[in-house]
Amino acid sequence: MSSYQLALQQLCDSALPTGAFAHSLGFETYIDRGVVADEESFGVWLAAFVGQQLTYSDGLGIRFLYEGVGVGELDAHLSAQLLPRQLREASTKMGGRLIEIGTEVFPSAELEAYRAMVATGQAAGHQPLAFAVVARSLGVPFEEALAAYLFAAVTSLTQNAVRAIPLGQNSGQRLLRKAHDGVAAAVEHVQHLGWDDFGAVSPGLEISQMRHEWQRARMFMS
Amino acid sequence: MSTTATAAELPPAVGSPPAAPPDLGPCPSPAAPNSRKLESGPSRQWAHRGAHHAAAPKSGFAASSTSSLRGELRLRVAERAGRSVAVQQFHQGALRVLRPHYLDESGQVCYVVVNPGGAYLGADLYVVDVEVEAGASLLLTTQSATKIYRTPGSFAEQRMTIRLGEGAELELAPDQLIAYREASYRQDTHITVHPTSSLVMAEVITPGWSPDGASFKYKELRLRNEIQVEGDDGAALLALDNLLIRPPLGDVTGMGFMEGYSHLGSLVVVDPRVDQALADELHRLTAGYEAYSGLSLTRTLAGTTGLVLRSLSNSTEELNRLLGACTGLLRERWYGRAPLNLRKY
Repeated sequence: MSSYQLALQQLCDSALPTGAFAHSLGFETYIDRGVVADEESFGVWLAAFVGQQLTYSDGLGIRFLYEGVGVGELDAHLSAQLLPRQLREASTKMGGRLIEIGTEVFPSAELEAYRAMVATGQAAGHQPLAFAVVARSLGVPFEEALAAYLFAAVTSLTQNAVRAIPLGQNSGQRLLRKAHDGVAAAVEHVQHLGWDDFGAVSPGLEISQMRHEWQRARMFMS
Repeated sequence: MSTTATAAELPPAVGSPPAAPPDLGPCPSPAAPNSRKLESGPSRQWAHRGAHHAAAPKSGFAASSTSSLRGELRLRVAERAGRSVAVQQFHQGALRVLRPHYLDESGQVCYVVVNPGGAYLGADLYVVDVEVEAGASLLLTTQSATKIYRTPGSFAEQRMTIRLGEGAELELAPDQLIAYREASYRQDTHITVHPTSSLVMAEVITPGWSPDGASFKYKELRLRNEIQVEGDDGAALLALDNLLIRPPLGDVTGMGFMEGYSHLGSLVVVDPRVDQALADELHRLTAGYEAYSGLSLTRTLAGTTGLVLRSLSNSTEELNRLLGACTGLLRERWYGRAPLNLRKY
């Protein structure tokens, strides 16, 4: 067993109290429009979300951090490129919780430095960066960390969809199984992108995340 | 091609507006096309541009060192006795500006950029450098659509640097972008504003054009706007608006990307007067158009805030109406100006 295996499992467990259950990251807008209404249509949204948002923003952020780019620089970029306000707030809310939890159970000098930057307002504290700082300090290799992060995100989004649409529990499990290929492709894709790709997102996902601000009946904060 | 014909009819001395000082000759050009403000960031570590893309098998681009500078435009506008005038103007190659207009009594100067060559081709590099000094106001538009033709093995590129001084205003309202079959295009815009500046930029991207009538046959469109705010302790990144459409990598037309629409419009506003009430008002305004739109506020830095609006629709005209209504509201409210109607000029 690798030294970090259980730590990584704890970090990626959907029961980790970061508040992920409160965020649809835009899919609730598709439900409201009737565009996402069942297992198949949610699967289409999820594949787009993994291939775009999680690849070009979260995934690249994690890669750049592993490659040694300063966490402050990456944090500023995420704050600037997450243009939908609720998405930006979701990232820093969950990131803030992850920093707190990490400080309790997986402390490191790197995490402490990031925590101090957030505490003094020099950084916002984004979820993928908080995750990457902790995973890197635990010695988790990059690809494994990225795959775990992406699949954890897919898992909480799917659980949220199961409650919101609603879908059966078996539907949820089928969706997770089908997402394996998309996550593997994203892990590969992230390694071929460059700095100019950081933060490129699809207009459709972004508009839906923005429109959520004005949606009347909402289960989710984003 | 109509743009070429129009350009041929231009008077030879398009460069010198009567209101500007006489010395508008070429300014010293120490800045090679590759020297850009971005270099302070981590881009250094990826050997900016050409190198990291050469390492990316899916991009298929040649290194940008093969680009040739096809057109260059520099414009510096300042306020003189209540009117904005060009105090420095330089152009070479396939970019120039028409004589300035004054559309109203507000003192805002309007320049129209023309590309007499009519289109962007492979490895063409266009460099535009605009500065609006303290208290001045510039409206910058284009004479016709930006057309990107086939760029086999390379890409056409526009690098734009914009600097706005204290209380300076810039409205950027180019015509739509059309990418033809097998075209690749990058537009990289670096904007630095003062916390009191006002920036409004609107843009429309069409699904492109191919001989068989099919849409999205271009290879790649990359439009990246980086907006910095100059504060007391240096410039900080306010917004990064990074649009990347690569039709060959997968279906871009459906859910999660273009949502079944063909055209994309964007509006970016940075101004200390931007707030949630304005966002709510623009949101209500967009509801009256045949378009799927969203908008949101950026974070606030040094007292200024950005607003980004994205809109999907099936026609350039509808998006122009929607964006025109939004900028019209801002022009009216902030400056008492009438909505833009550039086509009459």
